[in-house]
Amino acid sequence: MDTIDRRQFIDRMLALGGTALATAAFLSLTGCSKEPTAEPVADNSTPMPPPPPPPGDAAYLAVARGESPTTLVQRSITALGGIERFVKPGNNVIIKPNICVGYRTSEYAATTNPEVVGALVALCLGAGAKRVRVMDYPFGGTADQAYSNSGIKEAVLAAGGEMEVMTKMKFQDTTIPNGKSITSCSAYRDIVDADVLIDVPIAKHHGGAVLTLGMKNLLGVVSNPGSYHTADMAERVTDLNSLVRPHLTVVDAVRILMNNGPTGGNLNDVKQVNAVIASHDVVAADSYAATLFGKTALDVPIVRAGARRGLGTMDLSSIKIEEIAV
Amino acid sequence: MAARKRSRRWRWIRLSVQILLLVLFLYLLIGNRVGASTFLPGDLFFLLDPLTGLSAMLAAKRFIVPMLLGLLTIGLTLVLGRAWCSWVCPLGTLLEWTSLRRRYRNAPGRLSHWRHVKYLTLAAVLLGALLGTLSLLILDPITILFRTLASGLIPGANWLVTHGETYLYRFEPFRGFLDGFDRFIRGTLLPAAEPYFIPSLMLIAVFIGILALNAIRPRFWCRYVCPLGGLLGLVSRVSLLRRTVDPEKCNACRRCARECPVNAIDSDKAYASDPAECTLCLKCVEDCPTRAIAVRTQTQPARPEQEGLTRRQVLGSFGIMLAGVALLRLAPLLRGSDQRRLRPPGSSEDDMMKKCLRCGVCINICPTRALHPSGTGADYDGVWTPMVVPRLGYCDYMCTRCGEACPTGAIPELSLPEKQQTVIGKAEIDENRCIPWAQNVNCIVCQEMCPLAEKAIELEDVTVPNSQGLETVVRRPVVVRERCTGCGLCENKCPVPGEAAIRVHPDHGEGQQRRRGHSQ
Repeated sequence: MDTIDRRQFIDRMLALGGTALATAAFLSLTGCSKEPTAEPVADNSTPMPPPPPPPGDAAYLAVARGESPTTLVQRSITALGGIERFVKPGNNVIIKPNICVGYRTSEYAATTNPEVVGALVALCLGAGAKRVRVMDYPFGGTADQAYSNSGIKEAVLAAGGEMEVMTKMKFQDTTIPNGKSITSCSAYRDIVDADVLIDVPIAKHHGGAVLTLGMKNLLGVVSNPGSYHTADMAERVTDLNSLVRPHLTVVDAVRILMNNGPTGGNLNDVKQVNAVIASHDVVAADSYAATLFGKTALDVPIVRAGARRGLGTMDLSSIKIEEIAV
Repeated sequence: MAARKRSRRWRWIRLSVQILLLVLFLYLLIGNRVGASTFLPGDLFFLLDPLTGLSAMLAAKRFIVPMLLGLLTIGLTLVLGRAWCSWVCPLGTLLEWTSLRRRYRNAPGRLSHWRHVKYLTLAAVLLGALLGTLSLLILDPITILFRTLASGLIPGANWLVTHGETYLYRFEPFRGFLDGFDRFIRGTLLPAAEPYFIPSLMLIAVFIGILALNAIRPRFWCRYVCPLGGLLGLVSRVSLLRRTVDPEKCNACRRCARECPVNAIDSDKAYASDPAECTLCLKCVEDCPTRAIAVRTQTQPARPEQEGLTRRQVLGSFGIMLAGVALLRLAPLLRGSDQRRLRPPGSSEDDMMKKCLRCGVCINICPTRALHPSGTGADYDGVWTPMVVPRLGYCDYMCTRCGEACPTGAIPELSLPEKQQTVIGKAEIDENRCIPWAQNVNCIVCQEMCPLAEKAIELEDVTVPNSQGLETVVRRPVVVRERCTGCGLCENKCPVPGEAAIRVHPDHGEGQQRRRGHSQ
């Protein structure tokens, strides 16, 4: 039988210990899919800084109504002071539409209108953006399938943008300094780091949230959106919005889903409204969008929570709204 | 000099063929999963494998036309002998490469009685098939390698890559490279959806066990256990081409007998080889210093070179086999005690027993990771057949790929509208765990997830006292049983930790009966 001397023994033990330590370090560093803390934490959140006022005589919120979704996007952004107000040459832009499932085409109003997304991609590239990526994290079906079936992939590629399949490595543990219900989340690093984030929800009925609009659309930024759908959903979505604040929100209300949301599936639930709402303030945009359903922001807990915690304003009478008929 | 140069040729040709076919095996495994149009069928190796074909047809008691391709392999074996094992079989290739051949020298007669084992495994597989279970196909080499790669090794590799990437992505300088690398590798070499399967560890352990047998004898599995080797060995006895030794030239140096990778050469019988064992690797032909060995056409069937079994041994092993298979077939009686086993859309429990090869093609291809290899529940004869585990993955509303990929039709090929109406099971809410039911707190995740146009989960408003004793309205999910197809998206997304508060259970057909009742 082999024997070893003391020195060999020590060497081997050191090697073994080192390997174990390295493994443990690697495991602890990569353990990055924690659930948000289930217990509500004490409300030590400070009010968030409000969005800055629009420059010059630009509108705070613009609503364009008409037939062509592309024109609606262009005209509403123009009213806000043009895309140059948001996108600077060389910027890295991410557009986040709602592509929640892979089994609905855009007629069913479960996913954002492809023309609206395409028009935004073209505007950003026109303003000199270096890279324009479009992405969402579908909960039903694969991302590829959802991108294709929604028609968004085709529109984005035609406009010169990229579709990115959200990949696991980019979901990183991120603390939420202003968190109330959750203080950390697993957020998509590239979206948190983007120079410009454009939130492009479709206005839809939602069985639990009443409506899903711009604020709730940002749930596609985390790897575990399911765990936000609890009693504390309004606060949790607001917590997330305090971390990931879109620079521009464009609500697609070309077709809106009046019932059986968010996935729909029945054309009788779809209403043609032919409108696009744009604002740098996601709360204001959501507040206006609620009126299309015969409701106000007060009926939508998420929007109410966002306004209460200073993310934006839901008081439509206090802001400059420009209505455009195309 | 010239002779030595020439003598290496077959070795390189064989190595190239082995590498080529192993790469083809991997290419088909990955290509099939990606959905890329591979120029050959994704299940090619299963079709070529005569054992899977024969067993499936015996069990189903009918011809399965694509599986007649296995006759090609039988035909080749009739000409070339058991060449499959050294030229084609991807598991054989891996086992050859992992054999420590230098450490072992063959000695005549040692372990030779073990060679009968592979005929016994073969007989057990076929007897089981005849009696209606393909459970023992888990011993088929093609299914072993496919299953281990798709549900064991690739998920392991994926974990390592993903976690390495996630760690490095924190650091700015790596991001550009990682972005490109990740885009390249996801959906190609590694699956787009993170793969994890319930018995991954078990599969890898079995595979390591098979590799470890190489330490006893090189290619232990191929020599002694493999049922496909047994089948091809039987056919090889009448093969056209066989190894011959020229007694004039042979100088009895023993080299061929000592170095034969499968110990097929008997130095006591003038260095003749057993055609049932010889895999036509041609090593001896090339190595023979006097070039006494050649492969020639023979017309006489070979007599078994090894000692046959006594009648008592044959009867005894047959008895053991029968008892084994009978034990296996007791399993259906135990099935009721198992909690639940959901099958892929359109396939019945009977299909799974009689038609499923346990190959894992469907599990490999499922884009939403709904399918997992069954472990050994109470009904152990279903081991490694596919089952839907909704908590880990759901059946995608827009997908029909498992039925398209199944080599034997154990999962029927359904059109999309057919699949969308096919009942896998029925979702049932556990009112003791469901948040709105048990805690009077709103949660609508399952209702939101239901992919049906007319949702199978509805919300009912109920006025209840809340924790402060005040009246509040809570929305409770209720399953509309007639509509539910059991896709499992609700169970998959249920936010209750651990076991979901809404679970899919096997339907047992009462839903369909009720639907029929409605239409009358």
